[in-house]
Amino acid sequence: MIAPNSKSQPSRERQRAVSRYGMSIDLDRCTGCGACMVACAVENNVPPAHEGATARKGITWIRVFKVDNGEEGAARRSVFVPVLCQQCGEDTPCVHVCPQQAVEVDPATGIVGQMPERCLGCRYCMAACPYHARFFNWWDPQWPAGMEKTLNPDVAPRMRGVVEKCNFCHGRWHAAKERAAAAGKSEIEAGAYVPACVESCPTGAIRFGDLKDAASEPAVAAKDAHSFRLLEKLGTEPKIYYHSKRDWVRQVAAAPKPPNGKENARG
Amino acid sequence: MQRTRRDILLFMGGGAAGAMLTPAPWRLVTDAAIWSENWPGIPRPARGEITARYTNCALCPAGCAVRARCVAGQPVSLAGVAGNPLSQGAPCAFGLTGHQLPYHPQRLKQGTPEEAAAAVRGAMAKCGPGESVAVLDLAPGRASSWTYRRAMAAVANGVYLAPPRPLGGAAVNLAKARTVLSLGAPVLDGWGTPGNVHAARANFRLIQAEPWESRTAALADEWLPIRPGSEAALALALKDPKTAPSAAQATGLTEKQILDLANELTASGPALVLSADDLPEALALNQALGAWGQTLVARPEVPVPDAWKKAAPERVVASVPDSSIRVLFIDESVPGSHIPWSAVEKKLVRDNPVVVAFAWSLEGYGRHAQFTLPTAVYPELTSDIPPAIDSPAATFRISAPLVAPPARMTDPSAFIAKAAGMDAGNALQERADAIHKSGRGTLFTYADGKSTPLKDIKPDAFWKSLNEGACWVDDAAVGRASWPAFLSSPHDTQAEPQSTAFPLLVAFAEPRTASLTSPLMSKLYQDSDLRMAPNTAALHPDTARASGIAGAARAVLETQYGRCAIGVIPDESVPPGMLEVAAGPEVLDICGAFTRAKVVAA
Repeated sequence: MIAPNSKSQPSRERQRAVSRYGMSIDLDRCTGCGACMVACAVENNVPPAHEGATARKGITWIRVFKVDNGEEGAARRSVFVPVLCQQCGEDTPCVHVCPQQAVEVDPATGIVGQMPERCLGCRYCMAACPYHARFFNWWDPQWPAGMEKTLNPDVAPRMRGVVEKCNFCHGRWHAAKERAAAAGKSEIEAGAYVPACVESCPTGAIRFGDLKDAASEPAVAAKDAHSFRLLEKLGTEPKIYYHSKRDWVRQVAAAPKPPNGKENARG
Repeated sequence: MQRTRRDILLFMGGGAAGAMLTPAPWRLVTDAAIWSENWPGIPRPARGEITARYTNCALCPAGCAVRARCVAGQPVSLAGVAGNPLSQGAPCAFGLTGHQLPYHPQRLKQGTPEEAAAAVRGAMAKCGPGESVAVLDLAPGRASSWTYRRAMAAVANGVYLAPPRPLGGAAVNLAKARTVLSLGAPVLDGWGTPGNVHAARANFRLIQAEPWESRTAALADEWLPIRPGSEAALALALKDPKTAPSAAQATGLTEKQILDLANELTASGPALVLSADDLPEALALNQALGAWGQTLVARPEVPVPDAWKKAAPERVVASVPDSSIRVLFIDESVPGSHIPWSAVEKKLVRDNPVVVAFAWSLEGYGRHAQFTLPTAVYPELTSDIPPAIDSPAATFRISAPLVAPPARMTDPSAFIAKAAGMDAGNALQERADAIHKSGRGTLFTYADGKSTPLKDIKPDAFWKSLNEGACWVDDAAVGRASWPAFLSSPHDTQAEPQSTAFPLLVAFAEPRTASLTSPLMSKLYQDSDLRMAPNTAALHPDTARASGIAGAARAVLETQYGRCAIGVIPDESVPPGMLEVAAGPEVLDICGAFTRAKVVAA
């Protein structure tokens, strides 16, 4: 089990949740190949970049940033940091600000879900999210002619004017739940449900599991001295645990910006 | 009672305010939201029976095993095959989007095969002495490649051309390596089979000597930032420490660093030295370190039918006399190495050569050919995949089609065989039969994850399994004690002479391919800046200023082979004097190995 936050007692949501899915990401293994980003887009029917899309307006439920230590020349060191919805477990900022109740924390899984049908497109949640992990549909979703045949039938494409974000491939959770039910089980077995980014990572840097299961890899990683969470000081109790043996990498996570003032290596 | 205009306005205002307290307006908002969710602009995913099918990715020589999730027979996502002994279940980003390639907007859909065949017949008829008919095969080693070789043996002056094989065709055994020195080779970013490299990674110490902090350098155990173009000097000094002082001057490292590295390579063996383009100095260093038989090995031959052995030899483009090729076929239906067009063009006769390219888009050599005939693309095509560079075992696997190709696609081997007056037959099955006849190795089937000795499988079952997702593996050791001659006389990659006209050294930041990628790959270079878009270059702001392009988003890249327009990204992490480029077809046409370049204002 995860040690409870010293500042706050576990909320009722956390106490009654059947599972608390979380993730551990080993930054010392991430090569920045981008397999997780495209696997996520394939799984969740995220369309290719619109002609007018940029790094600011593009939709990437998981985005790998290249972050450096701010040094120059031979002293420069970089790390690739995959950032996705951190699935805040406490005082989830996007839930609080949504005027439409389009954001909910699933009590069964602890997953923060987004319902595009309810979303008004006010983007309060995007402003509130401290991790910049929410994305607005500036354009209608469009695929080149014929490519719509490759869409995943388990996930509905979202319309223009709504916000979307990572939901730990909730369609896969439903499928795993159905498989478990068909086998006469009430719970999903460990390993039977993994998001697309976890499945696609060639280095095994991203691991997924139930944080309530002390033997799961994220739960083990959470206790590691080299693990950290992004902006932990905000008290949002993210369920994504990062891991690095490099001191400067762990320090970057606590700072709003790296020393050179850039959000990532290329500005 | 008299009604005034004020009363009417008050009634209307009150009514509107009151309506807000009823469910009606909120219902309208909800209905509008539901309607907008289903408007015709949003595609609806098709439904159908969900099945899993297996194949091998044909998008690069790694040939990763692939599990396709299909809905009503249509692949909707691809994933690796866990437990696969070759690819360890880990395709790259490019491979994960391969099922979308048939729907690429730039796909070539029409060609004129009859006109091309007539032009080829005419040109072959007037082929004079000293002139030749040639096939340039960008992915050699396939069953189709053997068809091309047999076809070229069947015609007078037939020549079979292929890009130089990395390490002369030798295999790398990463599992044996304890120390790997990489001189700019992208070991962790597209060099070998991704899953295999990462599986072996924990067992070796990786030292990356490279001027810029590439993805491999960022994850290496040690990064040695050397000066651009000094890889050969470093390799030479590691072999012969007497040259360490001059190497220190060239590389920017200290003499002590070089000597310590030399000691580490000797003491912490087996060691392996890899370089971006098979530097002769790196190969010589491998020889001195005793890599042969340990980390560099000879791979057993994949059997071929005896009847095929009367085939034209494999030659590199540089070995053909200039202005000598009258008819040139280029097979780029399967992505492979790219040879700059300028190097190919000078081999063509000056008067009306006929160039026929087989491709699925016009992005590659099709831009230069008289005829570009459309072909199937992965995952429509049927092709075998030669063993990957990091596979010490001989392998045979087939990229079996997951979807049917459209009508009017050309089969390059059938076309070339017909031009040579022979029948291509079913080369793939003939080769599978020859492998089965040898009785060597085992068959790993993807659906059940089982390995079965080949001698326990019947020929029909072997062929069926290969088409349903399986790989044949023969890891019998090949006993060759001495350093092979082909590694002592490396192929035609050589550093270009230093030139003041082209002051910048080109380094490839992204995997080198001229092939189009799925539109979804724009997630990596447009929706984010994780990778660079094709035909883009990053350079230090000082370099940009010195080149007169400070602040410009576009520029022109010039090399001794030509010029092309590129996008420009200023990046302080790129050392001055270097260009970090993302290869696209235009860039690859003018950039070979160790290219020097300059950038000028567009």
